[in-house]
Amino acid sequence: MEKFWSKKRMFILIAVSFCGSITGRLAVRAVLNLLLGGTMIGGNLL
Amino acid sequence: MRKDVKNKRHTGLFVLLCIGVFILSAGCSAVFKMVYTPLQLRKYSAAWNEKVGTVYSDFSYGEKPANKFDLYVPADHTKENYGLIVYLHAGGFTTGDKKDDAKTLEYYCSLGYVTAGINYTLCTEQNPDANVYSQSMEIKKAMPLVVSEAEKLGCHIDRMAMAGGSAGGCLALIYAYRDAAEAPVPVKMVFEGVGPSSFYTEDWKSYGTDKDSKLAATLFGTMRGETIDPKIFGTEEYDEIMKPISPLLWVDDNTVPTVMAYGVYDKLQPYLGSVRLDAALTAHDIPHEYIVFEHSGHGLQNDNKQMIEYNKAILKYLDDYMGE
Repeated sequence: MEKFWSKKRMFILIAVSFCGSITGRLAVRAVLNLLLGGTMIGGNLL
Repeated sequence: MRKDVKNKRHTGLFVLLCIGVFILSAGCSAVFKMVYTPLQLRKYSAAWNEKVGTVYSDFSYGEKPANKFDLYVPADHTKENYGLIVYLHAGGFTTGDKKDDAKTLEYYCSLGYVTAGINYTLCTEQNPDANVYSQSMEIKKAMPLVVSEAEKLGCHIDRMAMAGGSAGGCLALIYAYRDAAEAPVPVKMVFEGVGPSSFYTEDWKSYGTDKDSKLAATLFGTMRGETIDPKIFGTEEYDEIMKPISPLLWVDDNTVPTVMAYGVYDKLQPYLGSVRLDAALTAHDIPHEYIVFEHSGHGLQNDNKQMIEYNKAILKYLDDYMGE
């Protein structure tokens, strides 16, 4: 188990989690923009 | 050999874990984005309880099932006179309900105003004859009763503001600009977001009206409740037909102060219409605030900074024009 949680894997997991968060927010913005209009960049952060 | 198998298993498990974490993070952040209200915007809502006010629901103002309104009355009954804010619901003239705006109505009531949400007959399969004009006439019909019912509840109304969002914004503008002279109490101002204010084929491009005049005649004719000949677009005759539902065409030197918010990328109603309205209000020197959401569409969803500005402008105009 000790080998499973290497520093490299922890770092990768944090990066994946960060990418997931960004993707989630962008997905909501994209869907709303598709329905109502709006830009993907600018205004609110994400 | 055994070590190799173990390593491969660990790698496989880790990849699965990464996929799971990605999906979970994306889901959580999407939900968070949908439900979270930024701190700076939270002050434009109020905790509602009997110490703040009371809601009186479903007063009837006509024979049709939708002819109902709700009144939100402040708990403080000590004032001699009260201002009334009527907030009309959104829904593209085809859906929506006064209850959708309960939070907004509660907030303005918490500021000491009597507030009212009015339902109107929606244009649906069951009500094919309903249109923007008939809806505006229902709102007009409701107003004296809204004021008299507030009176019965102990709040004497001596001034009012119209407000709404989208379809409700359009109907609020129509009442404030077209019917203010016949209102039971003086209409002091209007505030609204993304309400259509005019119906020009070249503006409503997202529906293809700039390219197909028959489609435009059907769309605008349905909204107006009249048959429109596609040949009259661009003429004074067209303006005359559409005037009863076109706030823009009622702007004159007596138009009430206006706060309005529009999204540049609006797909459901044209931003260009708001540019025309801003120009008309400016030309007649009418006090107004025109807040443009540079990155947003019909939901004004991508510009919290402008949303704060919009709310601040509303409060300033309420202080300036709806004060005792």
